[in-house]
Amino acid sequence: MVPPKSQRLLIATLAIAALISAFSGRIDAYLLDVALGAGISIVLASSLNLINGFTGQFSLGHAGFMAVGAYASAMLTTTLAPKLMGQTELLQWVVFPLSLVAGGLLSALVGVAVGAPSLRLKGDYLAIVTLGFGEIIKVILQNLDAVGGARGLTGIHTHTSLFWVFGSAAVTVYVVWSLLNSTFGRGFVAVADDEVAAEAMGLNSTHYKITAFVVGSFFAGVAGGLYAHLKGYLNPSGFSFDKSIEIVVMVILGGMGRHSGVIVAAVLLTALTEVLRSFGNYRMIVYSVLLIILMLTRPQGLFIWPLKKRKST
Amino acid sequence: MPDILLDLSSVTIRFGGLTAVSSVSITVREGELVGLIGPNGAGKTTVFNMVTGVYQPTEGSIHLGGRSLAKLKPFQITDLGIARTFQNIRLFPSLTVYDNVRVAFHRHLQNHSLQSLIRSSNFEEEEANLKARTVELLTLFNLQRVQDEPAKSLSYGDQRRLEILRALATKPRLLLLDEPAAGMNSSEKTELLTLIRFIRDTFDLAILLVEHDMKVVMGICERIHVLEYGRKIAEGTPSAIRADPKVIAAYLGDN
Repeated sequence: MVPPKSQRLLIATLAIAALISAFSGRIDAYLLDVALGAGISIVLASSLNLINGFTGQFSLGHAGFMAVGAYASAMLTTTLAPKLMGQTELLQWVVFPLSLVAGGLLSALVGVAVGAPSLRLKGDYLAIVTLGFGEIIKVILQNLDAVGGARGLTGIHTHTSLFWVFGSAAVTVYVVWSLLNSTFGRGFVAVADDEVAAEAMGLNSTHYKITAFVVGSFFAGVAGGLYAHLKGYLNPSGFSFDKSIEIVVMVILGGMGRHSGVIVAAVLLTALTEVLRSFGNYRMIVYSVLLIILMLTRPQGLFIWPLKKRKST
Repeated sequence: MPDILLDLSSVTIRFGGLTAVSSVSITVREGELVGLIGPNGAGKTTVFNMVTGVYQPTEGSIHLGGRSLAKLKPFQITDLGIARTFQNIRLFPSLTVYDNVRVAFHRHLQNHSLQSLIRSSNFEEEEANLKARTVELLTLFNLQRVQDEPAKSLSYGDQRRLEILRALATKPRLLLLDEPAAGMNSSEKTELLTLIRFIRDTFDLAILLVEHDMKVVMGICERIHVLEYGRKIAEGTPSAIRADPKVIAAYLGDN
């Protein structure tokens, strides 16, 4: 039996990522770094899109979930690495991906813990709770000596390659897309549109919101693990409120609840911060001004076209 | 006589010091078409909200087919077979007409989140089967011609009919219609009468209807309950209600 088109696309993307990754030695180191950063942004933005875009919950805690995954997977590989001295293959191909999944799972667990009690809140209130959660995570990490405290965590192996980053991005997009493109999945949008009506149609809105939170925070955790093993160094201040805002901006500019728009926005915004390096100290000012202009001119998102007729028969 | 399907017995609800509905008993039998009328603020929509689990009654009990609905959430009550429409239409505006009906089928499905990821042949088959059923329903109401439009782009009358259709997709045993004729002109109202009768006969269900338009209520209801200030002041056939002096004084007026 031939797998459905979406799965064939996923497999093809994974194969291409592996192929390009094999030649990554020939790619300019700076460009490679930017590309990896963009790939991680895709994972972050697509997963947040499920929560903020499709399910209509306003979460500002994505950097917090990312931090949980980053520290969890970094701690796993750094403690296991000395015991596997010399076995780099094993470390790179088995321990590292497992640590990504473990970081994602822990992050998802935290997602349930934060989500379950606070999902009764709506809009601004949920934003404040998730914002608070992100800051709590940061402060805990800053004061936890076992993970380096405010000095940061050093000596993380740099396993993150093009394959792992774009493989994760492909899986994230596939999972979010498949969830949404099913009868079950249209329920996410129904809950976002009108919760009372959704409940009246037999949809358990709490179940949908928690599912969105669990899946979203899982991939935020994976992105954190990729980030940790890309930079080789983690500092709690890298997971502050600004980072969450950055991801939210990607989702908004991509057009809340659009798969491809959000991917393009993630890449564009990552590239933009690099392009603006020539402005030196004024970089963030120019960046902010550009965002304001974009918000004023394209509030519906950069890539919203008139609704295409979707085939349903 | 058919069995009792919905049974509200001495139901009271208070919001702080205000008693919105006071010791009201209403029954709906299998397959029956029952009207609930009364002046504005009499508590008709509050009764609907208690039956569908949006509010919990302060006193009294509500049973569907002998099963208590106490402490159940709205989606669980829908699972038991009660579906509703809203006084001010509440569709899923950004979903297409097709998806509006499709999500309501959700509770009859075996598949869930994990299966939508694996996409086995079984899953695809189920989704295809559901597509056919959705289109079949849409065709019944002649809404298949706009099935790919977002629900918010539909005309008012079509939105009303889509909302009823969406409720039917949950396969209810009891359908609650909250002022279905509101905002309709007289020819649309006549159409609605035919539609409601058609639904009752085709889908084999009971209907409880809140409506201000007497032409609609008297035209189709087999039995009518009248509320005033949260109390039930009368119950009976349309002709009996029309002749009831209490109802005339409270609501109908004498002309």
